[in-house]
Amino acid sequence: MGVAIACHDVWKSYRIYHQRSHTLKEKVLSRRNVFEEFWALRGIDLAVPEGATMGIIGANGSGKSTLLKTMARILTPNKGSVMVNGSVSPLLELGTGFHPELTGRENVFMACSVLGQKRRDVEDRYDQISAFAEIESFMDIPVKNYSSGMYARLAFAVAISVEPEILIIDEVLSVGDESFQIRCYQRLEELRAQGRTIVLVSHSLPTISGMCTEAAWVDHGEIREVGTTDDVVAGYVAAVHNEAAEFTEQAEQHPAGKRYGSGQAEITDVSFVDGDGQEVSSFRTGDPLTMRLAYRAHAVDDELVCGIGVLRAENLAYLFGQNTVQAGVPLPRNEGTVEFTLPSLPLLKGEYVVNVVLHDRSGRHIYDCHDRKYWFSVVENSTMPIEGGMMHVTGEWSAWTSPVSA
Amino acid sequence: MIDALVVVSRATLREPDGSLSGRFRSEGTVAAPGSQDRLAGSLRSVATSTVQAASRLGPPPQQGWVRRFLAAFAELWAARELTGNLVRRDLKVRHRGTFLGMLWSLTTPLLIVGLYYFIFKFIIKAAVAQDLPRPDGQAVPFAVYFFCGLSIWNLFATGVSASTSSVIGSGYLLNKVYFPRSVLPIASVLSALVTFGFEFAVLVFITLIAVGPPSIYVLWVPVIVAVVFLQAVGLALLLSAVTVYLRDMVHFIGIFMQVWFWSTPVIYSLIYVARESPAALNLLKANPMTGAVVSFRNVVVLNNPPALKLLAYGAACAVVMAVMGTTVFARSQRRFSEIV
Repeated sequence: MGVAIACHDVWKSYRIYHQRSHTLKEKVLSRRNVFEEFWALRGIDLAVPEGATMGIIGANGSGKSTLLKTMARILTPNKGSVMVNGSVSPLLELGTGFHPELTGRENVFMACSVLGQKRRDVEDRYDQISAFAEIESFMDIPVKNYSSGMYARLAFAVAISVEPEILIIDEVLSVGDESFQIRCYQRLEELRAQGRTIVLVSHSLPTISGMCTEAAWVDHGEIREVGTTDDVVAGYVAAVHNEAAEFTEQAEQHPAGKRYGSGQAEITDVSFVDGDGQEVSSFRTGDPLTMRLAYRAHAVDDELVCGIGVLRAENLAYLFGQNTVQAGVPLPRNEGTVEFTLPSLPLLKGEYVVNVVLHDRSGRHIYDCHDRKYWFSVVENSTMPIEGGMMHVTGEWSAWTSPVSA
Repeated sequence: MIDALVVVSRATLREPDGSLSGRFRSEGTVAAPGSQDRLAGSLRSVATSTVQAASRLGPPPQQGWVRRFLAAFAELWAARELTGNLVRRDLKVRHRGTFLGMLWSLTTPLLIVGLYYFIFKFIIKAAVAQDLPRPDGQAVPFAVYFFCGLSIWNLFATGVSASTSSVIGSGYLLNKVYFPRSVLPIASVLSALVTFGFEFAVLVFITLIAVGPPSIYVLWVPVIVAVVFLQAVGLALLLSAVTVYLRDMVHFIGIFMQVWFWSTPVIYSLIYVARESPAALNLLKANPMTGAVVSFRNVVVLNNPPALKLLAYGAACAVVMAVMGTTVFARSQRRFSEIV
């Protein structure tokens, strides 16, 4: 297989003008424009193999979109080269090339030709597009008279009708309601099955993990990592969490953190430990996970109890909670360390937040509670079968032929 | 240098320390632009399961300007459907929703002809339109004479002035998709050409009724139109690119075209100027549009041969303008999407 897109040492800078002179008067009066040079891409080397679906991830302002626009030839690099083998359609927004005065039908042809589609192909697909948008009877009125929903459906139908050899998609496509997104992903799946190359930028790691075979992580205008999606996403998540951990430490010094309680005992340290005893923040399903918690008690007259709760980050679904009373484990009175070990992590791919709390035997008197302050992520374990939901449970299936009723 | 030839296969890639690596890391160095070892191509990215030679990914070979020009032309040709759609959109949008619709593109020049007819018939009363006699002795009314010159002038003037803001008016497209940027000014000139087509049809019809049948010289029309078209495209490319960097152009172009209009024998004949003001005649002959307008009138309504020398000069100017326009446009277009 060949290479669909090859970026070779691509550098791209923007000039951030403090005062841009657009008029003659300004040009004459101020000889020089005042600007700062900002390097959005710093020597990107990246090859997208033919037929691959590559996701590009990175923080805001890391250069993802610039890289995408460079691949789509919308931006020209200052230095380096971008080679593209095949026709490219960039989908950076819905409704590119639409004109409000033109009718739906005219806009379909206009937008498709802007996206580099041949008129003959568009004619073949026209009925499909109008049917998909569910506005067949409105195709001959100007789109300025459309409702915003009709407009969006038509724009979307056009966007997913394109059949270039290489499709470049910014996350704008992830706007729209759920049914849009599902159809969008179905369509991308079709295109991928046809062997077309897809480059996708998204903030949503689940989207990237679900769609892409490969991923590239862009950080401050450089490629930090390229490889299989799971590897790159895991690396990215770990790095983000490390940054977040630093942030948490800072937050701890502020009383405004999500922390409350009487202060008679305090949680001094919380960490997640893997099977090798290393502190990490990213685990695979089925791996051992230990939560380690250090505390100090000052003036506790009742029994000291430690509890933990685990929630799914995206919807804060409370997955499980346990404490030392239930387990019958007494805690040392003044200072100590508690560990909660899961020999085989049952959680599936995703992000999780953890509550830790110290309280009395009844649970009514809270000494120290760190509410949703710690988090870890779980990545797919390629040795395990893919499951739905949030948890891995053990169960058994059986099946037999029903006896034929007489 | 070894890196440049790294053949990446996931299962066998080893880190420098010899351990098997599950991930590929690009070097990620902050080399200064231009550093030699980067040029050598420390390309370590890529492909999970495919095996690729890095040499395929090297910078493309430098091309000569002839090849670049041909490539640009091929690209433009490939975008002909887009160009056609832009022209169609231009024409549709301009007149959609108005009562007269497409007829407006004819009404405007006809109203102007009426206005000037009134001025020169009742106020100024100078024989500005005295020109070569028709061989068949038919008199050419001033209105027809003027309309003829005005139609070919309008092809040039509307094409150029509409194209001036064609690039800055398309920022929404430039930022979202790639296409040869020169499509924009060219589409503006092409839509002026379509409008000219209507005007020309009306002109021929009026001439047949009010004056008489044309002569064999009318076959020169395509040549003359081609010269005007090329001039307009050249200027359109130049001005649309300059306007991106200097927006004053939009205001300037109106007055500029007014001056040019009065410097071209549209409303008066070259013969009238030669008689009244020989000094101005040389100035007029330096105007690249003079030859086209005079020749167009000669072959369409006056049944006379074209002003060959002037037309040839106009054609030469057209080539120069086209080359200049193309060069300036090609050099500046790479930053259009950032500035617009």
